Amino acid sequence: MSAHAHNDSHGHGELQMGHHHVSSSAMFTNVLIVLLILTAVTVIASRIDFGPANMLIAMLIASVKASLVILFFMHMKWDTAINKIVFLSSFLFLSLLFIFTLADQATRRIDHPMHATKAKVSKEWAYPKPAMSEKH
Amino acid sequence: MSHDGHHSVVIPAPGPEFVPHTVAHHFDTPVQEFQSAKLGFWLFLATEILLFGGLFAAYFYYHDLYPETFRVGGQQLDWKLGAVNTSVLLLSSWTMAMGVRSAQTSQKQKTMLFCALTVLGAVIFMVIKFFEYKAKTEHGLFVFPHMFDNYQVDGSSNAGSLAWFTDVHNVMVDETGAPLLHGHLFFAIYVTMTAIHGLHVIIGAGLILWIMKGVAKGRFHAGYYLPVDLVGLYWHLVDLIWIFLFPLLYLVP
Amino acid sequence: MTTHAPILDTQKAKSEQPKNYLNCSSGFWSWAGTLDHKRIGIMYLIGTGLAFLAGGLFALLVRLHLWEPNGMLFTNDQYNEIFTLHGAFMVFLFVIPAIPGSLGNMILPLMLGAKDVALPRLNLLSFYLWVMGAVLAALAIVLGGFDTGWTFYAPYSLYTNKAVVTIGLGIFLLGFSSIFTGLNFIVTTHKLRAPGLTWFRMPLFVWALYATALLQVLATPVLGITVLLVAFERLYHIGIFDPRLGGDPVLFEHFFWFYSHPAVYIMVLPAFGIISELVSVHSRKPLFGYKLIAFSSLAIAIISFLVWGHHMFTSGQSTYAMFAFSFLTFFVAIPTAIKEFSWVATIWKGSIALNSPMLYTLAFLIIFAIGGLTGVILGALNVDLHLHDTYFVVAHFHYVMMGSIALAFFAGLHHWWPKMFGVMYNETLAKIACVTIFVGFNVTFLPQFEMGSQGMPRRYATYVPEFQPYHSASTVGAIILGSGVALMVSYLVASLFIGKKAMQNQWGGVTLDWLTPTPPPLENFAHAPKVTTEVYDYSTLDLKSTQTPIG
Repeated sequence: MSAHAHNDSHGHGELQMGHHHVSSSAMFTNVLIVLLILTAVTVIASRIDFGPANMLIAMLIASVKASLVILFFMHMKWDTAINKIVFLSSFLFLSLLFIFTLADQATRRIDHPMHATKAKVSKEWAYPKPAMSEKH
Repeated sequence: MSHDGHHSVVIPAPGPEFVPHTVAHHFDTPVQEFQSAKLGFWLFLATEILLFGGLFAAYFYYHDLYPETFRVGGQQLDWKLGAVNTSVLLLSSWTMAMGVRSAQTSQKQKTMLFCALTVLGAVIFMVIKFFEYKAKTEHGLFVFPHMFDNYQVDGSSNAGSLAWFTDVHNVMVDETGAPLLHGHLFFAIYVTMTAIHGLHVIIGAGLILWIMKGVAKGRFHAGYYLPVDLVGLYWHLVDLIWIFLFPLLYLVP
Repeated sequence: MTTHAPILDTQKAKSEQPKNYLNCSSGFWSWAGTLDHKRIGIMYLIGTGLAFLAGGLFALLVRLHLWEPNGMLFTNDQYNEIFTLHGAFMVFLFVIPAIPGSLGNMILPLMLGAKDVALPRLNLLSFYLWVMGAVLAALAIVLGGFDTGWTFYAPYSLYTNKAVVTIGLGIFLLGFSSIFTGLNFIVTTHKLRAPGLTWFRMPLFVWALYATALLQVLATPVLGITVLLVAFERLYHIGIFDPRLGGDPVLFEHFFWFYSHPAVYIMVLPAFGIISELVSVHSRKPLFGYKLIAFSSLAIAIISFLVWGHHMFTSGQSTYAMFAFSFLTFFVAIPTAIKEFSWVATIWKGSIALNSPMLYTLAFLIIFAIGGLTGVILGALNVDLHLHDTYFVVAHFHYVMMGSIALAFFAGLHHWWPKMFGVMYNETLAKIACVTIFVGFNVTFLPQFEMGSQGMPRRYATYVPEFQPYHSASTVGAIILGSGVALMVSYLVASLFIGKKAMQNQWGGVTLDWLTPTPPPLENFAHAPKVTTEVYDYSTLDLKSTQTPIG
């Protein structure tokens, strides 16, 4: 936002694109190896029955993988504060959609036991008779 | 759009195989141009997260409602193909990161090579995806291009065209052989999520091809690599979403 | 120097008529392909203005139909389509894009001292996405219309035999138009502020557009995926929203209102921004509670993400969710009241100029107080169970959407009209139109509060005869309102051809938008501006500029 930006006497360095961070190839490769290992871990973890914790474990591993991609592959570790805030806030606001929507569904069962779906169902109910499709 | 009395800032090319970059007229400095585009692109990526987020919310909503349907449905998918595809995308993310790095260090040939490898990754991913879809269609869990459109409740019977439909009966059952509630819903969510993700893979590959055209012309170098950087971010986002899709769809917890 | 022949002087004056963004180039492509934020703003103004007139026409048809208890003009099915067209056109083609697209595009870079928005190509793309959305909306009418209401509630929207997929695609594109506008404004505000223009020296219109932009970026994508899912649902019967296939229509409502409640603030925050500017300029007084108004915009933006379930009190949510949503809803009233009080306090003991922009502003203050307070009533869970889907709700949101937002838009339009075009409209006609619109509006919607609380349901093509006096009054009001708007459009358009030249600084504003030449040149400022004073500091006003005609 300098008022003297049109002055061509700038040094070459200042005409570069600012604080760009060039990461080493070794770092990218290390991150890739960790990501592949974590992929194997998530497959193995899914084979073991932890009960409801399976979902938590799967999402935890996926979050670690996602963080690695965001921090290193997407260079967020070296990015500006505002860019970090922007991207992370999308997850924050998304969590609002998740929390309220899932909380509504979960608490509806307290009000109305009929919303519980563990009961056995008849074939007709589960697979209603097919019919002609609606055309546009 | 340059205007009388203003002359634009030019970033010189680092070598004869490159071309200089002219900063857009309404920016004062290259840094301002770079940061503006980057902030804009992160905002765009945030919208992509929220767009996919709606689908993930639907996934969790129905996973919660019909846990058995999702467990049995997940078993119908080939987790080995899913794992291979995950690895392919992770590798292509690595090649993309290396491609951006090569552009940052003005290595024209290497940039070209890594971009090409990334596109190759996209192609392998889509080919595997195609065979997965084909297998599911043959097993009648959903049918291209009609998908579920014969799956209607009332009206006249049209059973003749619905060979796939009986397969769902045979597959989507619990331990006792009784049909699962709304067995097709898992596949509906699977197709919707992977199809929209696949569309992003195709768009991403197209963008990388466009980048390669620019690389060939020598447009990207240490002084100006912004488009390579942004397309790289897009490609990593495609990877990011798949990282969550893989365990949720192929290894349904 | 007085010996020059007069004819030479005239020629010289003509050739030296200052170049501005309107006369710097001409021809179709100089507009259709422009990257200049001001020309894009004008194109938005024309587009959204036409959409407003179309939506208004549908509104008049609805009101005329309801003149008689059994309906005057349409069959029930046709009526469903007409009120849907009114809602969809007004919401998606006018109220959401109008202020950011036209006045925002025009004024935001000027207020920031920038040469353009940060991403001019994206800006043009936003406009063309809007055009494509509008074309698809028109196409949907040709393909059989749509009768779902603007809310597209499942499961009806999944099964009605109308062009829902077409209008859905249109809304998807309009959504991305809105996202890209918001994205552009955020980047512009962060990266293109003039030297010295700190965050707390930014005019409040910029703050409001910034808060709006956050909502546009963070909420609209969910609308995009929702309409896509509705389209998939219709084409493939995936079943996510279809109860007959195991889906939950309440999930549709969650998705829809996750966007559409924040969307209410996407609509109203820019209006708040305009009013904040106008009360200060036309009272010639710094804003009371500048920082509070700025922060209340952000507070409203964030709270708006926590309250969407109050649209779904009768939809079958859990009572626990309803309790939480109702409780959180009341918090919206706090930042909103802060604004209203601050505006009134700004006017208090100010040097008030009762010109037409200020008249619209005062009308806004009265109407918005009613619109906002009835919202608090509707936020109360038990009251809403009675009032849900009645004309009380219709009256409430028209007091906000039409009475507040559209009036604020008119106020802003009258305020910046001389800046945009360098001409002044007929001030007497403007005042007449403003009073007509204010009276017509209240006659239309006050009776609706009463008949709503007595149980008249919304969206019905017919009604019991007991409600006829209210409906008739409402229809008379709509005609008065319509004629006021028609008068306004006429003198505004006429001013472009026969209007007096405007002053350089017509109203004596001190924000950067009034310090550029009027109308602004292509890149806005002859010299890069530098801000050294606090915002709304009227001691810096160059009084001469308010009395110098342009050119």
